[in-house]
Amino acid sequence: MEVVIQRDSFPQLLEKLNRYNIWLPRKNGDYWEFKLSRGKESLDKKYTNTKLSPKKFVLPQTETLFQITEGENGKFNIDEKQKKDSLDIVFGIRPCDGVALSHLDKVFLNSFKDPYYSKKRDNTVFIGLACETPPFENCSCTTMGESPFSTKGLDILLKDIGDRYIVEYITDKGKKLFSGFPNLFGKITTKDKESLEKIKKESNKKIKKRVEDLSETTKKLDIMFDSDLWFHESQSCINCGICTYLCPSCHCFDINDEQLSKKPLNVKRVRTWDNCQFPIFTMHSSGHNPRPDKQSRYRRRIYHKFSYFYKTEGEHLCTGCGRCSNYCPAGINIFETLQKVAEYE
Amino acid sequence: MVHIEDIKKEAKRLLKEKKIKYLIGYKRGTNGLTALPTFIKEPEDTDELIWEASCIQNLSRYLVEEKKEQLKNKAENTLPVGIIAKACDTRSIAVLLQEKFLERKDIYIIGVSCEYGGVIDQKKIKKKFRGKKPEKVIFDKTNNLLIGTKFGNIKVPAEEILAERCIECKSTFPLLCDDVFGENVKRKISEHFNSIKEIEELPAESRWEFWHGHLEKCIRCFACRSVCPMCFCTECVVDPIELAVTNESTAREKAEKVKWIERSTTATDNIIFQLVRTLHLAGRCIDCGECERVCPVDIPIRLLNKKMEKTALEKFGYESGFDINMPSLISNFKDEDPQDFIR
Amino acid sequence: MNENPYFPNLALITSIRDEVGGDRAIKTFQTRFVNGNNFTFKSGQCAMLSVFGKGEAMISISNSPFTKDFLQFSILKSGRVTSALHNMENGSIIGVRGPYGNSFPMEKWKGRNLIFIGGGIGLAPLWSVLKTALVNKKDYGDLMLIYGARTSKDIVFKDELYDLRSEMTVHLSIDKDESGWNEFVGFVPENVKSKVSWPQNSIAIICGPPIMIKFVISTLAELGFEDEQIYTTVENKMKCGIGKCGRCSIGEHYVCTEGPVYSWAELKKLPQEY
Repeated sequence: MEVVIQRDSFPQLLEKLNRYNIWLPRKNGDYWEFKLSRGKESLDKKYTNTKLSPKKFVLPQTETLFQITEGENGKFNIDEKQKKDSLDIVFGIRPCDGVALSHLDKVFLNSFKDPYYSKKRDNTVFIGLACETPPFENCSCTTMGESPFSTKGLDILLKDIGDRYIVEYITDKGKKLFSGFPNLFGKITTKDKESLEKIKKESNKKIKKRVEDLSETTKKLDIMFDSDLWFHESQSCINCGICTYLCPSCHCFDINDEQLSKKPLNVKRVRTWDNCQFPIFTMHSSGHNPRPDKQSRYRRRIYHKFSYFYKTEGEHLCTGCGRCSNYCPAGINIFETLQKVAEYE
Repeated sequence: MVHIEDIKKEAKRLLKEKKIKYLIGYKRGTNGLTALPTFIKEPEDTDELIWEASCIQNLSRYLVEEKKEQLKNKAENTLPVGIIAKACDTRSIAVLLQEKFLERKDIYIIGVSCEYGGVIDQKKIKKKFRGKKPEKVIFDKTNNLLIGTKFGNIKVPAEEILAERCIECKSTFPLLCDDVFGENVKRKISEHFNSIKEIEELPAESRWEFWHGHLEKCIRCFACRSVCPMCFCTECVVDPIELAVTNESTAREKAEKVKWIERSTTATDNIIFQLVRTLHLAGRCIDCGECERVCPVDIPIRLLNKKMEKTALEKFGYESGFDINMPSLISNFKDEDPQDFIR
Repeated sequence: MNENPYFPNLALITSIRDEVGGDRAIKTFQTRFVNGNNFTFKSGQCAMLSVFGKGEAMISISNSPFTKDFLQFSILKSGRVTSALHNMENGSIIGVRGPYGNSFPMEKWKGRNLIFIGGGIGLAPLWSVLKTALVNKKDYGDLMLIYGARTSKDIVFKDELYDLRSEMTVHLSIDKDESGWNEFVGFVPENVKSKVSWPQNSIAIICGPPIMIKFVISTLAELGFEDEQIYTTVENKMKCGIGKCGRCSIGEHYVCTEGPVYSWAELKKLPQEY
């Protein structure tokens, strides 16, 4: 269902929602990030996309799973209460990052439902903002078969048509959120629809497809595990964690105990982001490492995203947001690798 | 004046005559202006080499990687590895030689002088050229840079787009070279420690606030560590677990390894990480600025290193990267060293 | 059971037995859940053990599912968590969650001869399946165990192995000769070569160090075993146990959910990332 809200009414909408935690994209120095709203605000017209993906709302970099305290005569108490019950509303999620949320859902809400993820997912409303122009140079959602108007993973999608936003409700959660203030929303007109179509068309045109035929890439991966392409593609990699930590779909994590006090024992069991590009990620306690070099780690990254996940979930674990390639210190460009794979003989 | 064709010719010769195993150099970037590292094995591939102000990376990091691979595989290096190095890059190689991590015979240094220029700052370029996509940067002799865009060349004063470290550079002429291209020119744009002036003058509380605010953002991608040629330890105190574990390590060694920082990204532990990094680079950092360039959350890491550099100079008269025979700052003691910090 | 898959159920250590001493010490622990709640498991599955304050480690369950009142783990002292476990005493509390992974396809093996081949601590996961086979002995053909360790001191389950001889064929080996040793001397693959002569209708189940597994497999292939007749277990570093954290992956498989038991026919198809 679609309705319309005037751009001028947006601050009013935020005000009505002010009992929730409202997150808006705001500039921090040279880059954008989600910040708590200060009240009556608008969505900044200059907004591109956040440098750090919105995955932190459902998979924070650091998260306490539970706290373990030692009681009397060697007894232990495990407190697994999750504090968060309040609703978070995030405005300005780009459609690619919405797609990533749908990927994370597949990982965390499958047969072993992750209660931490699931609770945060339920308690967050993700409000997307369609892209009229590609936010980044390396953007390429179309390569991944998505579009700048994709609704996957989102609760609401806003489409900027100049002085007003077209509001598309995707989930009931999204619809419910705005249902209390009908005065702010109007009916969508034919003219609105026309301007939207025009913007859509132009927007799609502006986004370059970076890999000619991604299905070819996926096919080729089946036969090129032992290719020396992986050595060459990863040669300039410096083993840092930028590509995966900035990736909206990457979700690997670590679990550790962190001691708050030794006696009586008080421990937090903490989940933190982890990263398949770090050498220690797969290292056994014996010192043996199944992926001992950067070529096997880079290969893992590509295979996980474009072969393995595709085989198990029917989708590529990549949204084409371009963050990994924009911020790689060594300038490694994932799209170039994918194209080379497609052309492999 | 540096002519890329001369460099290409020399690179081709070295590879053809099998004087080097392979060459680490720069090629045209595909993702914006910044050049990319390239590893050339075949003489005919030398054509892709470029030399301009977009050759930002300090490629000596890859010498460290090569050495580490060799150590891991217990292989003997047969031929030296060729590297194209700017003045600052050669200074980092000098420190690696001084610390005996690398051996001189294992490297073939093709030094290139930055002459009147240096390398660009991507962020400055981005701000200055909003919308117009710069494609090329060329030095125009003295203090101007020519930026090639679709709309033609645009002339910009160097200090407006050069990296801060280049503006504060001590010498743009490389040292220890086997081959050298370009001239040794005298040039000065700014004071060496200009960039830390502002923060030095702040009161302690404001400085704390400044760093706390910045380090709170750290996501521990460890790119600053990964990109640094001086961070060559097999084992790093900030690693969450035992990186230096081998088949011979005993369970006890592994179990008793001290966890210096937790994996939780708290500001406190982030600060410890950066403090360790900074102190371990005192008297070793040669200000290639890579750590700050790669930081995804824009922490001005270079300022920390610069402060160390200044302290080393003022307190101990020590400058890193200029003399490979000089005892290193941290492992050396002189009677006249200041001792007022011992209380 | 708690619905939270990360939640460690408190368990009491009810017995600790020293198996092997020294730098690579092995101890066998039996645990009982504090709240009586338990999980049912199958041979080949693992459990995630917690030492609070130190972390978690994935360990294979070494008793048979038929012994219901305890879980047994034989643990090699190797890192932070396993060292902490070795320092624990009877009555200490640990956390246990699981079970994780697939299991040995014992139904499918019915009517076949089973040859168990183990090295070092690798006897632990074999022990569960071996004991289960013994309970249902009539379902299977001949049973044989070929087990080797570096020295006689490194042999685990010594007393049980002695008792086992009354129920099935047991061949032991040590790497180098020792006085008083009157069984095979040499590596496990050599012992396999000298003892196994009936590939037809047999299943070989191998657990041990990767290098041993590799050579045993090629020995079995020489003896005429088909890939489908050979089973082994894979271990990779694990954190979550439920196919999310990413580190135990081999190709599109997560060892924690789709492993650790693989036939060589299956494992051969996966990339060698283990």
